[in-house]
Amino acid sequence: MSWPRRYGALLRTAWLQDLQYRASIVLWLLWGVTEPAVALGIWWAIAADGPVQGYARADFARYFFALMLVNQLTIAWDSWYLDSWIREGELNFRLARPIHPAHEAVAENIAYKARTAGMILVVWLIVAAAWPAVRLPFGAGRWALTAAAVLLAAAMRFFISFATGLLAFWTTRATAIMELHAGISLFLSGRLAPLALLPPAVARVAGFFWFPYMLAFPVDLLTGAVHGAAVVWGFVGQVVWLALWVGAYRLAWTRGLRKYGAVGG
Amino acid sequence: MRNVELQGQFEPRGAPNDAKHAMKFRILVALFRLNVAEELQYRANFVASLLGTLFWIVTALLTLAVFFRHTTRLGDWDYWEVVVLLGVFNTLTGVIEAVLRPGIGRLAGEVKSGGLDLVLAKPVDAQGFVSFRRLDVWRFTDVVLGLALAGYALYRLGRVPSVVQLAAFALALAAAVVVVYALWVALMSLAFWFVSVENLSVLFDAVYEGARYPVSAYPGVLRFVFVYLIPIAWTTTIPASALTGRLEPGFALVAAAVAAVAFALTRLLWRTALKRYSGASG
Repeated sequence: MSWPRRYGALLRTAWLQDLQYRASIVLWLLWGVTEPAVALGIWWAIAADGPVQGYARADFARYFFALMLVNQLTIAWDSWYLDSWIREGELNFRLARPIHPAHEAVAENIAYKARTAGMILVVWLIVAAAWPAVRLPFGAGRWALTAAAVLLAAAMRFFISFATGLLAFWTTRATAIMELHAGISLFLSGRLAPLALLPPAVARVAGFFWFPYMLAFPVDLLTGAVHGAAVVWGFVGQVVWLALWVGAYRLAWTRGLRKYGAVGG
Repeated sequence: MRNVELQGQFEPRGAPNDAKHAMKFRILVALFRLNVAEELQYRANFVASLLGTLFWIVTALLTLAVFFRHTTRLGDWDYWEVVVLLGVFNTLTGVIEAVLRPGIGRLAGEVKSGGLDLVLAKPVDAQGFVSFRRLDVWRFTDVVLGLALAGYALYRLGRVPSVVQLAAFALALAAAVVVVYALWVALMSLAFWFVSVENLSVLFDAVYEGARYPVSAYPGVLRFVFVYLIPIAWTTTIPASALTGRLEPGFALVAAAVAAVAFALTRLLWRTALKRYSGASG
């Protein structure tokens, strides 16, 4: 079977499964947007007396609306899936299929994100009609660049989540490691605040890791906060870290499978 | 036959009220003992739970530090006052994770699968049993650490609460526990209408995120919602205010009244919801 047909089938299955659980998906979506919404509420209060390091109230509104969208587009739950696949033995029949289990995960990601990010986009448009603060200036080039950055970020977060989930071959606390990662990324990926508002030393340290490239960079691209050479460096960072995480995933996959087979006898 | 009616027949009729209450109490004690015995087998979970809580507290304090780099007050509260509130929040998180999520939090799944039948067939009050059947004892460390954090923040504020203020705090905190419980009952009752939604508890997590900061920090509309409609203001802001002396101690009585009303309303909702349940047979 050709790849487009394979993906067609996988996507259709994933889409229909999500349709069945659409109410649950809306709840997950709600849960996903409350954190940025609460953060926006707090920054909104702090910025009441004037801009905070150049961020006025409207800038915060745009930043966190963009964050909600980009986060939804790049989020990856694969650690939790893999953890249960490996522990409960559901990986077995997936390995027996003539297609790598990662493709099923990718298709699920695409179907889930198309549905939920679509909802956020619609809500954003409705809110923007009434509230000028969250309107973005139109810019075809910038939006195209953002789309590329979001794609790279989504791929990177997918491989981070997938590789970490594979740790379930060795430990029962793989999801705890992912929680730890989420806790650190709250600060370093820009979920709590634009990186410019962190202590400068922390922001500098963040730049040495993958965190800013998985969220803050695409968000800043969308809102227009990065320009010139910084854009190029952002893409370089994304590509480098994506490559490293793909490597980590390959290592964990081959080593893990060898160990997994040993358990099975 | 509807399960609710079935259930009524098993209640010890005509038994004197004292005997009924004594039995309820004995059942609760027996459940707690069973759970503690079970959890003590998994002592590694204690370390994991403790580390998780410490990580959460550090994250929350760093979050505040980021906000307070750019302001001196949040909704007119200063840094250590908000830390007192975080302590209260963590205390309530302990109650939620130890009692509510493992107990009533499983209800939505059971309504879907029909597993609730097994609960209704028991000769006890279904709401009470569902709520207190399961206990993650390790998560009570959150309660201890939360109160310790609030105490440390008070020390940094240089405030020693009077006996009256402490009493008001105790009452407000008890009221907060009841309000949180009522929120869970209300949420889980929805499962009887929206059977296919298994992750209803996510909705609680989403809303409760708002209770991490004093309600005065939010815009007016949201403040109204948090005080009157989804009363999470009463869970953290009010007890913390009682402890720091922002509130007249007498206000704790209002909190108690709010808790009583919330409890009564959700009890009513629970009863209405349960009538819709038709069991595994459909």
